[in-house]
Amino acid sequence: MAEMLISLEKLNKTYKSGGSDVAALRDVSLGISRGEAVAVMGPSGSGKSTLLSIIGGLNPPTEGKVIIDEIDLYNLNREKRADFRREYLGFVFQQFQLIPYLTAVENTMLPLTTTRYPSREKREMAMQALERVGLETKCNRLPNQLSGGEQERVAIARAIVNAPPLVLADEPTGNLDTRTAREIMELFRSLNASGLTVLMVTHNPENIKYMNRAITMEDGKLVDDAGNLRAVGGSCFDRSESAGGLR
Amino acid sequence: MNLYSIAFKNIIRCRSRILFIVTALLIGTAIAVALYMIVDSMRLAIGDQIDEFGSNIVIVPRAEGMEIGYGGTELARTAIDLKQLSETDLEKISAIPDYRSINIVSPKIVASVAIKDRDVIMVGVEPQREFAMKPWFSLAEQEGLEAGANPGDLALLELPEKGLIAGADAARALNLQAGDALAINGSTFQVTGILNRLGSVEDGLLLGNLSAVQTLLNRPGEISMIEISAYCNECPVEELAAQLSGVLPNGRVTALRQAALLREETIDKFSLFSMLITGVILVIAGLMVLTTMMGSVHERTREIGIFRAIGFRGSHVMQVIMVEAGLAGLLGGAAGYIGGNLVARYFGSYLAGENIDFIWQTGLILPALGLAVAIALAAAVYPAYRAASLDPVEALRFI
Ligand SMILES: Nc1ncnc2c1ncn2[C@@H]1O[C@H](COP(=O)(O)OP(=O)(O)O)[C@@H](O)[C@H]1O
Ligand SMILES: [Mg+2]
Repeated sequence: MAEMLISLEKLNKTYKSGGSDVAALRDVSLGISRGEAVAVMGPSGSGKSTLLSIIGGLNPPTEGKVIIDEIDLYNLNREKRADFRREYLGFVFQQFQLIPYLTAVENTMLPLTTTRYPSREKREMAMQALERVGLETKCNRLPNQLSGGEQERVAIARAIVNAPPLVLADEPTGNLDTRTAREIMELFRSLNASGLTVLMVTHNPENIKYMNRAITMEDGKLVDDAGNLRAVGGSCFDRSESAGGLR
Repeated sequence: MNLYSIAFKNIIRCRSRILFIVTALLIGTAIAVALYMIVDSMRLAIGDQIDEFGSNIVIVPRAEGMEIGYGGTELARTAIDLKQLSETDLEKISAIPDYRSINIVSPKIVASVAIKDRDVIMVGVEPQREFAMKPWFSLAEQEGLEAGANPGDLALLELPEKGLIAGADAARALNLQAGDALAINGSTFQVTGILNRLGSVEDGLLLGNLSAVQTLLNRPGEISMIEISAYCNECPVEELAAQLSGVLPNGRVTALRQAALLREETIDKFSLFSMLITGVILVIAGLMVLTTMMGSVHERTREIGIFRAIGFRGSHVMQVIMVEAGLAGLLGGAAGYIGGNLVARYFGSYLAGENIDFIWQTGLILPALGLAVAIALAAAVYPAYRAASLDPVEALRFI
């Protein structure tokens, strides 16, 4: 087994909203190796986004541990976790993820804003990231001058500009038409092929063929974990492929 | 790109919001600057008025024409011409408790004399004291000077026993020149010098030695007026006047600064009032900045969530907000400085109640900028703190 990148130990998350408690995660344990592309499936409200935000260091779990690259994430304070996010991961969201008054290249540069690189280098890094998503020619456009798919590409460029080991994506194709969604998934596949670990929440079973593992959540619990999808050649999610992997 | 450019670009995007903040700060700063300038120029003007009085206490005999009045109605005016002040009174002055505050005591005798069919006011003075008290006196002509040479310093001038200094108008009326001899009541005086025109009563006078004029008038030892110059930065001039009244029952002591002082009190009150107004307006401006920034933070919740998700620290988010506020403060301060100067220039005379020339006070640029920036920053602290402590999960929840 490849080197472990993410290790979740008995995660529980309870939201307190208006007096009643909502258990969003129940005893979730999971390991993800470097280089994996993992799809997170499950009905709405099953805790997928919660899981992602906890792994992303944005949302302290009620119980349990998150270890990423041997760092116990919630042992760090808020500000240190922000530094961690900048160094270790990129986020891609479904929509509205770009800053409307910044151009494509400026949006891409955003994670570098608080670093010490000289500004020319920041721009060069951003241009390289835009090149990887095929958008270098539209670098000076504002988000509202870009199509939905192009905005998504800028978001991906921004997520990888710092060359983090991990990208977390929450329904990145949810708002795109089928063709554009496929292009985006192709992009994720090629990024994954070059070594990036991807954890992606998705509703669309078609997307699973671009990933090599799929986990399923239901009511805050991890109910299924299917590995080596691509190796097995499964073109769609097949429950019978469900193997171990559940830790 | 850095945090500043994010703040800057957001300002450009949200022009109307920023315009609102800048306007609030502009009004606050402009009013502060204008009121400061008006109060300042009022103080300057009154300072000039005080400086123009060489003396600030004048003592005259209590009654040369005594008013006997009742309830504002003058019943009678008796002319009792008594010899009421004399040189012995001068020694009494040195007995008052605050004598140290007194700088110069200049006694004089004043009388009208007929010269060449004209009535001229002749004043006997002790020249060294009189000229020390009135340093703005200067000579236009001086006896015995070679052509082209400049007249000497009056304060150093030795006035001969029967020498005279003529005011500019008196010299012209009597056709006098330095060095002329002049017969007065059968006694011959010599014109030692002629004063430059002052634009005041002194232009029409002849000044001589106190003793010589007393002798001429046959009123030895008599004094018709004592002018006193006192350092009055700390001592209240009224207090001095009261002490002098105590030792000089025959004299009527008038503190010349009373009028000026009264005016100064008015200015102090106006100044306090201005400070209150300015303070209230600045607080309101600050509150306007605060609510506007709160609205901005609220509106940018999602944006702030994104900043946090991609690795901005809370303090970075705070910086972006504070830089925006600071830039707005600079703009508002600069505009307020200009606005305040214009207000002072065009409405200042009206407010100050006198004709005052307002000049651009460049020294106020930095205080104006500092004030506006300080208010903007102070008002932005809370919104910035709120932005920094926003829960990114909540902020991103509906993404
Ligand atoms: N910030 C929150 N406060 C309260 N309840 C929340 C919050 N976020 C999510 N939840 C609840 O937790 C459960 C899991 O939500 P979520 O993780 O968003 O699920 P998914 O992404 O799978 O739709 C849901 O019942 C949701 O209503
Ligand atoms: Mg979700």
